[in-house]
Amino acid sequence: MLKEYILNKEHYKFRREAGVVDLKDSDSIAERVCKRFEKMCALETPVILPGEKICFIRTVKNLPEIISDEEWIEIKKKHFVHESGFVSNMCPEYGEIIKDGLLKRAEFADEYGKREIAAIIDLADRYRAEAEKQGRTDIAESLVNIPRYGAANFREALQFLRILHYALWLEGSYHNTVGRFDKYMYPYLKKDMDGGIYTEDSALELLEDFFISFNKDSDLYTGVQQGDNGQSMVLGGVDENGNYVFNLLSKLCLRASKNLMMIDPKINLRVNKNTPMEIFELGSELTKAGLGFPQYSNDDIVIEGLERVGYDRRDAAEYAVAACWEFIIPGKGADIPNIGALSFPKVVNKAMYEHLMSCETFDDFEGKVYDEIAKECDSICGEIKDIWTIPSPLMKVYMPEIKYHNFGIHGTGIATATDSLYAIKKHIYEIRDIQKEELIEAVQSDFELHSELLPKLRFHTEKMGNDIDRVDNIATGLLKCFSDNLSKRKNCMGGSFRAGTGSAMYYLWHANEIGASADGRRKGEPFGTNFSPSLFAKINGPFSVIKSFTKQDFVNAVNGGPLTLEFHHSMVSDDECVKKVAALVKAYITFGGIQLQLNVVNIEKMRDAQKHPEKYPQLVVRIWGWSAYFVELDKEFQNHVIKRQEYTL
Amino acid sequence: MNGTIFDIKECSMHDGPGVRVTVFLKGCPLRCMWCHNPEGLSREPQLMFKENRCCRCGKCRIKCNHDICQRFNRCVYACPNDCLSVSGKMIGDAELAESLLKQKNMLQFINGGVTFSGGEPLLQWEFVCAVIDRISELNIAIQTSGFAESNAYRSVVDKVDFVMQDIKIMNPEKHKLYTGVENSKILDNIDYLKKSGKKFVFRVPLIPDITDTEENLKEISKFVGGHRTELMRYNTFAGVKYPMLGMKYKLSDRESRKDDYTKYFENAVLL
Repeated sequence: MLKEYILNKEHYKFRREAGVVDLKDSDSIAERVCKRFEKMCALETPVILPGEKICFIRTVKNLPEIISDEEWIEIKKKHFVHESGFVSNMCPEYGEIIKDGLLKRAEFADEYGKREIAAIIDLADRYRAEAEKQGRTDIAESLVNIPRYGAANFREALQFLRILHYALWLEGSYHNTVGRFDKYMYPYLKKDMDGGIYTEDSALELLEDFFISFNKDSDLYTGVQQGDNGQSMVLGGVDENGNYVFNLLSKLCLRASKNLMMIDPKINLRVNKNTPMEIFELGSELTKAGLGFPQYSNDDIVIEGLERVGYDRRDAAEYAVAACWEFIIPGKGADIPNIGALSFPKVVNKAMYEHLMSCETFDDFEGKVYDEIAKECDSICGEIKDIWTIPSPLMKVYMPEIKYHNFGIHGTGIATATDSLYAIKKHIYEIRDIQKEELIEAVQSDFELHSELLPKLRFHTEKMGNDIDRVDNIATGLLKCFSDNLSKRKNCMGGSFRAGTGSAMYYLWHANEIGASADGRRKGEPFGTNFSPSLFAKINGPFSVIKSFTKQDFVNAVNGGPLTLEFHHSMVSDDECVKKVAALVKAYITFGGIQLQLNVVNIEKMRDAQKHPEKYPQLVVRIWGWSAYFVELDKEFQNHVIKRQEYTL
Repeated sequence: MNGTIFDIKECSMHDGPGVRVTVFLKGCPLRCMWCHNPEGLSREPQLMFKENRCCRCGKCRIKCNHDICQRFNRCVYACPNDCLSVSGKMIGDAELAESLLKQKNMLQFINGGVTFSGGEPLLQWEFVCAVIDRISELNIAIQTSGFAESNAYRSVVDKVDFVMQDIKIMNPEKHKLYTGVENSKILDNIDYLKKSGKKFVFRVPLIPDITDTEENLKEISKFVGGHRTELMRYNTFAGVKYPMLGMKYKLSDRESRKDDYTKYFENAVLL
């Protein structure tokens, strides 16, 4: 079986190092990118794995550097460079390229684009020759039309997408998503189904083969951890006319993911309050499998929100999900949706240290917090100018007409900040059982001083997540202040800033930055993931969490960032429970939530896997916008996932 | 009117139709050896102590003024690790009803409702009736051993939409041995339930070598006939709360079995 072959990493035996690749310093960087791509394509050895129908794997492991350390220093002196400097989190309109073929794209491409297209075609031809040599005429035939010309059938379309996606990784861009797969691929499947070429079962089999292809080289595409590679796929959602799209292919994708139990591709399901319950049920069946898919996003909120930050309605309706949760526009958006992050708890701590003593009322103090948010936004946005990105001739071929250059800023630790502010409101200004100096000293000293305040603040003060308006409204105010502040600004590319509720790895980074906080969180303890309750908050249950985390105005904070709900596996033990989970997800959407991440977890297995990793090679857990094999994670991430379960609902 | 509860759990998946809110009433006349909610047995508030988190700092020993702490000679608010809590809260019918009605929009949306469980909810049947009268627009279910005076049983059953009725052991002596009470009252009440026209299911806990014997299950099957019966798998974590209450769990070495017990029944599912 192909799946076992890949899981056992047998295909690693075909891999080698790139060796020395000669790239002249005198060349422009665009020339070097192009040369490296040509070279990488040439170095690749076509390999056809036993039984596979969709081919193309990486046999050369590494991409040689094209920019020297000295050059980087010079570039960074003059420019803002996002992450590694390469293009990331962009989503081409794959459907159009698959329809057109690369030769048609070459007509409009620049010289570099033409050269890279030629290199792809050459590699595809060598694959075709290899297939013929091995007697795999089916594969050889599937490479006759594509990639030169448009795909004529479902198999060609899948193979073409594989090649296009593979080429992006090979050029160096990362967090490469595949967008609304069921929308642009369905016409090919339908034609072949109508023609009697496939049954549902045989179509599923081919689709699974294609899904496995995402897992062949993914270990070469690590982000913060193995699994953080951004290979996400969007299913469902309304079309440009407002009709809900969910077809046979959408259904087969959910099934393929459930059958395979592999971490790629990551599935996002677009829904809204009119989405039929049956679709939520299909999604919940996949949830039950425990991969941490699908992640849901709410079209009712997202489309309107995107329109408000300047996207045309038609484009907004086409939104896809970037590597983790950020919303991006296929084909037209060169947005950087994760360019920075505001730490809400940091702002609250700063205001507490600098202004609490002088504020007579809580409103005064909250005003100071808002002022600090404004200053922090100034500082974050002010640093982003003269942005420089490594040229990507291939992305230019895939996305020739860029319309949007918007930037997204995460907002991290909102529950920690809200709980801290509420604690200040209650204990300093309302019941007045804590003195200002005491609180400041306690937090500053990580509760070494005034240690009696720790249990009071940590366990016996109300928290966000229990549907208490006077607490939750503080979060609403924080998020509004953040989004209002960003919405007034233009970025250095003339685009907008978008406020979001995601955290990514900042739940660790930002948490380590600030020491303790007034909610009784101690130094070094992480925030909750994304838009979720604090890790030690005593929570009544999912109903309250859903209500607390749907009160905010997400239309104005549309960068994305999900509420994470985690269920113990025993709660989703049978088909009846799957329907119940589906109803709960629909309730979240109807209540106006923006994005939901639902995980079914087995904490006993995780604990055992820490002791006996060899027993659990396939145990999958969701981290933030991506899933990973538990045993391949660093201990810090393993522990955070386990810690999240202490409040498992 | 006041009652004593020990928990309100949102989002129960296995306590009746839809996703539910379950109210756990404190106090039970039975002493089933396999009980996994030992804090539900006594009517009185009890101190629960999570020893594995205790750092022996002694802060809970410092005298405090909280009413609730006095009877335990411990302050439950002082612990930096949240080791201590009091199980058992006195609550008025109006207050409980209000907190349940707060979930109305959610419950109606997901076709869920409220379930009264325990403990044995019928031990506080007048309180339960008073709460139900205030939340009658919600779907109401009850989970009961059926061990109650017939007027108590009938009063509550008549008010609810759905009954989850336990049947543990058919043999009267064995019932007395393992649960502490005889089963005649229970069986009489079930006769009423069968004729009442209410929607109900039977629930049979599968306790290794005690209730899951062929003999017992066959007898139960004969008694329940074609009514829907839910067989509840033995939870090997059933004993975890005993040490927190300073109690000892007597069945600690039993393993859950994987036999297909549904074969003894006309209409059973395994949960």
